[in-house]
Amino acid sequence: MEEQGCPRCKTTKYRNPSLKLLVNVCGHSLCESCVELLFVKGSGLCPECGTSLRRSTFRLQIFEDASVEKEIDIRKRVLRDFNKKEEDFPSLQEYNDYLEMIETIVFNLTNHQDVEATKKMIDQYKKENKDQIKKNLSKLSKDEEFLETLIEQEQHETTIRKMILLEEEKKEKAAKRKSKEALIDALMYQDRPAHDIISSHKELAQHEELEAKRATTAFSTGIKIGHRSDIVPLNKQETAQLYRYCPLVIEWCGPEPPTVDELYTDGYLRNIRTISDAERAGGFREALACHRALQDAFSGLYSFPNVSAPSPAKRKSFPQTAAHSPMITS
Amino acid sequence: MFSISTQAKYWLFTGETELATCRAEANRSYISSRRAHLTDNEVASCFLTPMEEKLLSRQYEVVLRKFCSEFQPPMPKCVIGTSLAYFKRFYVHNSNMDYHPKDIMLTCVYLACKVEEFYVPIGQFVKNLRGDREKFADAILSFELTLMSKLNYHLTVHNPFRPMEGFIIDIKTRYKDIQNIEIVRRTAEEFMERSLQSDACLIFSPAQIALAALSFGATKEGLSLDRYIKEILFKTATEKEAEDTLYQLRRVKFIVKNTESVPREQAQAIQKKLDQCRNQENNPDSDVYKQRMLEKLDEEEDVRHRKRAKLVADDEPMFFSLEQDR
Repeated sequence: MEEQGCPRCKTTKYRNPSLKLLVNVCGHSLCESCVELLFVKGSGLCPECGTSLRRSTFRLQIFEDASVEKEIDIRKRVLRDFNKKEEDFPSLQEYNDYLEMIETIVFNLTNHQDVEATKKMIDQYKKENKDQIKKNLSKLSKDEEFLETLIEQEQHETTIRKMILLEEEKKEKAAKRKSKEALIDALMYQDRPAHDIISSHKELAQHEELEAKRATTAFSTGIKIGHRSDIVPLNKQETAQLYRYCPLVIEWCGPEPPTVDELYTDGYLRNIRTISDAERAGGFREALACHRALQDAFSGLYSFPNVSAPSPAKRKSFPQTAAHSPMITS
Repeated sequence: MFSISTQAKYWLFTGETELATCRAEANRSYISSRRAHLTDNEVASCFLTPMEEKLLSRQYEVVLRKFCSEFQPPMPKCVIGTSLAYFKRFYVHNSNMDYHPKDIMLTCVYLACKVEEFYVPIGQFVKNLRGDREKFADAILSFELTLMSKLNYHLTVHNPFRPMEGFIIDIKTRYKDIQNIEIVRRTAEEFMERSLQSDACLIFSPAQIALAALSFGATKEGLSLDRYIKEILFKTATEKEAEDTLYQLRRVKFIVKNTESVPREQAQAIQKKLDQCRNQENNPDSDVYKQRMLEKLDEEEDVRHRKRAKLVADDEPMFFSLEQDR
């Protein structure tokens, strides 16, 4: 990838890490110092394309590709006029077509295609929709409205929270003063020894403090005050039934094959080849292969398709196929 | 486990009669969709009869087995068994005229290789063929999905090879009267090979075929497994089960013995006839097929394009409102 840099003074990000690239409406980037140098008077020509630019319209280049910046500028400008909302259209299809049109215009302007025709189109549109453009300019889009209400709500909440805090502080102060007064009163009028009174008072104060702390921790969760309905009850535990293991019962449809234990006790394993080291390393044992062979041999031995429930395709009943039987020689 | 498999549930038929009706139904439905307003006589001369279809299938089963036996790298027996099972299952409900057995045969073998964990990449697979290999590869891959859906995705096939090993182990262990059961193996395997050429795998369970093969082999070698079957194997069986199983074993032997090969000339004549009446939409060489493939491709592209356009349109409103905020 090409190093990002200023086309005029050829400084690159590598040589000057603090290099700031600025971009203007024409989509050509310049570094900060070049902008300062060229636009001392406040306006001048772009060194790349000769478009006259104002210094105030320069802004930081966010995207590496300067043409993206240019597109954003054009889009902003186009959208100022093309500010119809979805509600202004009778159907989604028409709204989509409208959006498509905007995209085409932006694309044409960015890539210098049919610029004249496009500009004409824009002018015509402006003329035709003059009133509506003006009207919509003052109106906020739905998303903006939503954002605004959100912000308002947040502000409201912060003020409430502040007030609550203030009140609490006041209360605390009052309580402290009260307890101090109580202590002095007790020291003055009670007959108990002084250190006794002080220690019991301290205990009381500690106790109160603890209580207060508990109260504050209950509020210091991130949950919004007054929004109880948002809180999802966490202790909603479903009591699923415990899993109970029941051994697999296989319908063999044949004689029952020997179990793995019987393979060892009845000497089945003597009749198969011994396992090679490589196979044993892979985790296989003779019993495994032997067991499978025997299972396969016995499974389905008593299979008579006519006896089992016939599928729709199997309409024929057995006696008809038995027509072969006289010819069978055993 | 075979007893609870799709093979037992969906792909066992009561007998050759039922198979014949299914095949005749496939044949009839193909013809009725194509015949337009031909008379019955013209239909008979133009389209394949169910009998001809069966002969043609048999012929291609022979070709398939030859292809498999010469396949490099040499393939395990179960691949041959599985591919033949696929081939047979496919033509139970489909007509030879609709899908040419030549294409289906290769696809069956390719799919069976995958399912039986003997995967051969398509490039290496078609090296076993003579002719335009790229064309073969294209045909195989394009029919693979069709084949699977026609098989209803019941891809596990239980072959009789492992059950036979199981019975041999069992005989060695529990039936001491015969000490040299291994001598039966050769004839039993021959029997099994022949069974592959018959419809046995669509009618009987693999265990029955394997036991029939062993008992056939034993009789040929002058031994008898009757006592083993009756006294040891059927010790826990009810009388009816034992009787029915013995009957099934006799039927296996009968059906396998009666398989006969198709004369070459006859097969060639049928094939010639097939070239005229086959479904051109499923012929990779035909223009209709190519046209359809192209259309499919275009359609896919179109759908993708529309989706993208929709996505873009959906995104835009959000993007705009962001821009306006600045």
